[in-house]
Amino acid sequence: MNGYVEAGYVVILGTLGTYAVTLVARERATRRRIDGAPTTAQGPSREAADTSALPQLGAEEPGPRLS
Amino acid sequence: MLRDAMLVAGKDLRIEIRSRVGLNQVGPFAVAVLLLFGLALGPDRQVLAPASAGLFWVAVLLSTILAVQRSYAIESADAARDGLRLSGLDPAGIFLGKAGAIAVQLLVLEAALTIGVALLYGAHLSGALVLVAACAAGTLGLTAIGTLYGVVASGLQTRETLLPLLFLPVVAPVLLAATKAWDAALAGTPGRAGGWLDVLVVFAVLYTAIGTIAFGPLLEDG
Amino acid sequence: MSTASHPARTDRATLALRGLGAVALAGVAATVWLGLFVTPPDEFMGNLVRLLYVHPPMAWVAFLAYGMAGLASVFYLWPRTRAERFDRLAGASAEVGVVFTGLTLVSGSIWGRPTWGAWWVWDPLLTTTALLFVLYLGYLALRRVPGDFHARARRSAIAALVAFVDVPIVYFSVDWWRSLHQAPTINLITHKTYVHGSMAWTLLLGFVSFTLVYIWLVAHRYRLAKLQDREETEGLEVALAERRAEAVAG
Repeated sequence: MNGYVEAGYVVILGTLGTYAVTLVARERATRRRIDGAPTTAQGPSREAADTSALPQLGAEEPGPRLS
Repeated sequence: MLRDAMLVAGKDLRIEIRSRVGLNQVGPFAVAVLLLFGLALGPDRQVLAPASAGLFWVAVLLSTILAVQRSYAIESADAARDGLRLSGLDPAGIFLGKAGAIAVQLLVLEAALTIGVALLYGAHLSGALVLVAACAAGTLGLTAIGTLYGVVASGLQTRETLLPLLFLPVVAPVLLAATKAWDAALAGTPGRAGGWLDVLVVFAVLYTAIGTIAFGPLLEDG
Repeated sequence: MSTASHPARTDRATLALRGLGAVALAGVAATVWLGLFVTPPDEFMGNLVRLLYVHPPMAWVAFLAYGMAGLASVFYLWPRTRAERFDRLAGASAEVGVVFTGLTLVSGSIWGRPTWGAWWVWDPLLTTTALLFVLYLGYLALRRVPGDFHARARRSAIAALVAFVDVPIVYFSVDWWRSLHQAPTINLITHKTYVHGSMAWTLLLGFVSFTLVYIWLVAHRYRLAKLQDREETEGLEVALAERRAEAVAG
């Protein structure tokens, strides 16, 4: 009989624990991605302009940042 | 509002009469379901006859899904949905009209299925009044939910799988109550069906009301 | 929607959340310890009663989460209180709710096997919970369909309400359906009257602790949703700015 009780507790605690851990992990990962990604247009667009067919224009200021 | 409803219902029914998709596809589908149930549960009428009510209503539920999908499929041709939105018709009226058209088709289907059930499963058709009442109230509830979820699903890409998933759990009480009402009637004790018919009526009224209110905004979103 | 870096969370909120998490964890640990070791076996059920310290709390949270999702949906639909946060709250509560609903079914099943001899019985509460589970899944599936935020939020909210109104009808119907067959209905409510002393306190602790766990989980799920939306919006803005820059350069 006891096997059932242990199984029940393990399933409940295990599932909730796993869910909690994955939530926190996903949150951290997303936050890292946001902080890491350039929040202005200058970063990536400069790279994009550099690889474009007209590299001499790469130094030009890109359009106004959207807000 | 009612005039718009009649307009839309009339249009849908006329399309059905002309295209006969309900007759040619949904009907045979329902009959196929009955046959498959027969195959699944065995040829013994002792098993099938008592189960007739439940099997009948499951077949009706599944057919409702098809009927709803068909009802919205005709709107997706030629951007008819946008036409419907811009037509100036009262959205509540559109809802009632579409639901009404589906309900009419389902009622016709149910009549045929009743005969099917009597024939295939040996169900003894007694308590006709209760049978009809349950069909009326049950169908109204089913079509209300179906039409509401139908407009939600029809604007989306995953509509085919989403509609059944949304629809079936919500109408579980209809299945339950209608089956019980039919059971009482078929067993020769129609008096016992009273409470179940109440459940069906409450459900139908409740969801027709919700559908009437919620349909407008959902139609816009599509 | 502004992308100005709202300093992720004010430190106060994160601290509060950590505190909540600690308390919830302590509560759960205490419940487990009391439930498994300190409380005595029941005179009728023996050690199986220990599952009654965790199974009812699962069911309670499942329905609580559902109620919250429904309530948040109402707030979203009501024009005066419409706000993105309510849609996110509904979604978060639903996701946490589906986890607890699944756990209710599993723990109920585990309890049922030795008690009734079957892994499943058509008990009204259990059956309603099973239907609740499927309703949840449908709602979550609907939320996943991409689209304009408001459109998606509105249709999800309506779906949540349709389902929310349905649950009492389902319960009532199933309950009546079962009573007709005079089969033993395990009524957890009446069973609780046999519970007294340390068992009652443990049960109460269980309810409170898992409710705290629910709140903690929903808070984190909500934050995650907010971050994901932000990521998506910022990604979109970066892409748009890139296009503009290319247009200027090209």
